[in-house]
Amino acid sequence: MLHYFDIEKIKLLFQYDKSDPLLFTSSMFLFAFFVLLVLYRLVYKNKTARIYLIILFSVFFYYKACGIYFLLLFLLTFINYFSGKWIGISKNRIGKNTLFILAVLLNIGILIYFKYTNFFIGILNDVRSSHITPLDVFLPLGISFIIFKALSYVIEIYLENIKPVDSIRDFTLFIFYFPTLLLGPIERASDFLPQVEEDIKINKEVIGTALFLIMSGLLKKVVIADYIGINFVDRVFETPLRFTGVENLIAAYAYTLQIYTDFSGYTDMALGISLMLGYRLTDNFNSPFKAASIADFWRRWHITLSSWCLDYIFKPLQIKFRSIGILGNALALFITFIIIGLWHGPGWTYIAFGAIHGAYLVSSIFTKKLRTKFYKKTKLASSNSVKLLQWFFTLHLVVFAFIVFRAQSLSIVADMLNQMVNFFHGEVFIQFVNGYKLIFGLIIIGYIVHLLPEKIKESVKNFVINASLYAQVVMLVVVIWVVIQFRFADLQPFLYFKF
Amino acid sequence: MISDRLKNIVLKELDLDDFDFKDSTTADMVPGWDSLTHIQIIVAVEKNYKIKFKGIEILKIKNMGELQSLIDAKLAAVSTGL
Repeated sequence: MLHYFDIEKIKLLFQYDKSDPLLFTSSMFLFAFFVLLVLYRLVYKNKTARIYLIILFSVFFYYKACGIYFLLLFLLTFINYFSGKWIGISKNRIGKNTLFILAVLLNIGILIYFKYTNFFIGILNDVRSSHITPLDVFLPLGISFIIFKALSYVIEIYLENIKPVDSIRDFTLFIFYFPTLLLGPIERASDFLPQVEEDIKINKEVIGTALFLIMSGLLKKVVIADYIGINFVDRVFETPLRFTGVENLIAAYAYTLQIYTDFSGYTDMALGISLMLGYRLTDNFNSPFKAASIADFWRRWHITLSSWCLDYIFKPLQIKFRSIGILGNALALFITFIIIGLWHGPGWTYIAFGAIHGAYLVSSIFTKKLRTKFYKKTKLASSNSVKLLQWFFTLHLVVFAFIVFRAQSLSIVADMLNQMVNFFHGEVFIQFVNGYKLIFGLIIIGYIVHLLPEKIKESVKNFVINASLYAQVVMLVVVIWVVIQFRFADLQPFLYFKF
Repeated sequence: MISDRLKNIVLKELDLDDFDFKDSTTADMVPGWDSLTHIQIIVAVEKNYKIKFKGIEILKIKNMGELQSLIDAKLAAVSTGL
């Protein structure tokens, strides 16, 4: 009986289930990754074997996420490997340009087909009041990340910053690499491919750092993001009118923390998992809520996406518009941010999110001279209270944009703001804290840990690195135990407050 | 070698008193040289030398040395009537 049960479970592991991709936080992944590590340990000294082992595991990983659409990875590898090669050897400008444009159109075409077809059909139907039936298009998970990663390779070759890679095997690893498939980071070929050439070095420091990242990722994602999401944030964003303004406001702060801990937690795990295999990935976050301006925020938030868009969208546009002075900068910025918004998904709230950040940055361009003059005259630039004010102001601009990002529709945003202004009921705050002790505590702890000086975080990391193997195992077990408690905790009941 | 003429254009655009520019100097080493001021510097260079860069030429510039040689190449092309 037990034997039979086990075989069924293993069979299940190899079956595609749309609702159950191999997320890093699932026990299925933990098991599969453990098997991979054991095999990797046996073969890692042989370059060919270790690369093919990861490619094979990546195929399995993406098959679990997308079924038959895992073939897309082969298509993208094929398109971009040969585009890169031909652009690299093409001698004349016209040939180079034609190949480059073709490669960009193919990649973007695939992305638009899978992700935006129905969105554009919807717009067309609205504008022309036609009735084109939406297509039944499957959305392959992570496709926006994978295509941007692949595109950066072709663009860098076109700009002559890198040479095409000879080995299609190494390039396949770059595209297929499972830690980055579903949620990035959007690695650059120039950072990743040289590592494929080198020998793998996995020492105590690497393992310690990997463990630290995996543990912090698990805690961020499961204990904070998932827990406050399911038990509080989702409910408010679903029906904001059932909650007072003060609860709507707390939900806005909570969601801002949730999206950070969710995304950066998952990224931490990707970085840690990758380190275990011997590859360093680019970090995507640098304490974004410490930012003192919106420009500073984008240097700290989803760094691999923002630097991608800065290099490949903003700069070319800025050069194109350079004859119209400061207006050119503003226009280039705004268009870039609309694209950043749309990149997140086919929806007006995402476009609005991009437009809001675009508007923030454009207004900062236009007021820059004035502000510089003001700070010079008043000598306030280095004053701590001004810095605190800048931080506070920036954080709230960010929170506002995230309300729009999370809301199902713009009318939900309007409802939430309306509740905050016209139905605030500040007295509910005390009841909220008493009723939702754990959730409120998690929000506060989340923000405090985020805002701690980097030095403290660094010393915790070093503590994990320097701990004995025995202590490291104990820490990992404790973290997994805590994560399981939160993962399988009962839902918090709905609470209705008196006002 | 970075010419004084180029150096002065950059200093003026960035509102700096002085800076020791080398061929290997990159934008991130110079205070105030960010993605926004970058294009102002390019435009100022084009105006001052009365030359016009192509978009891709600007994208490819990696450091001061490359900017200088791009200017020199453009000037040489102008003087030989190309």
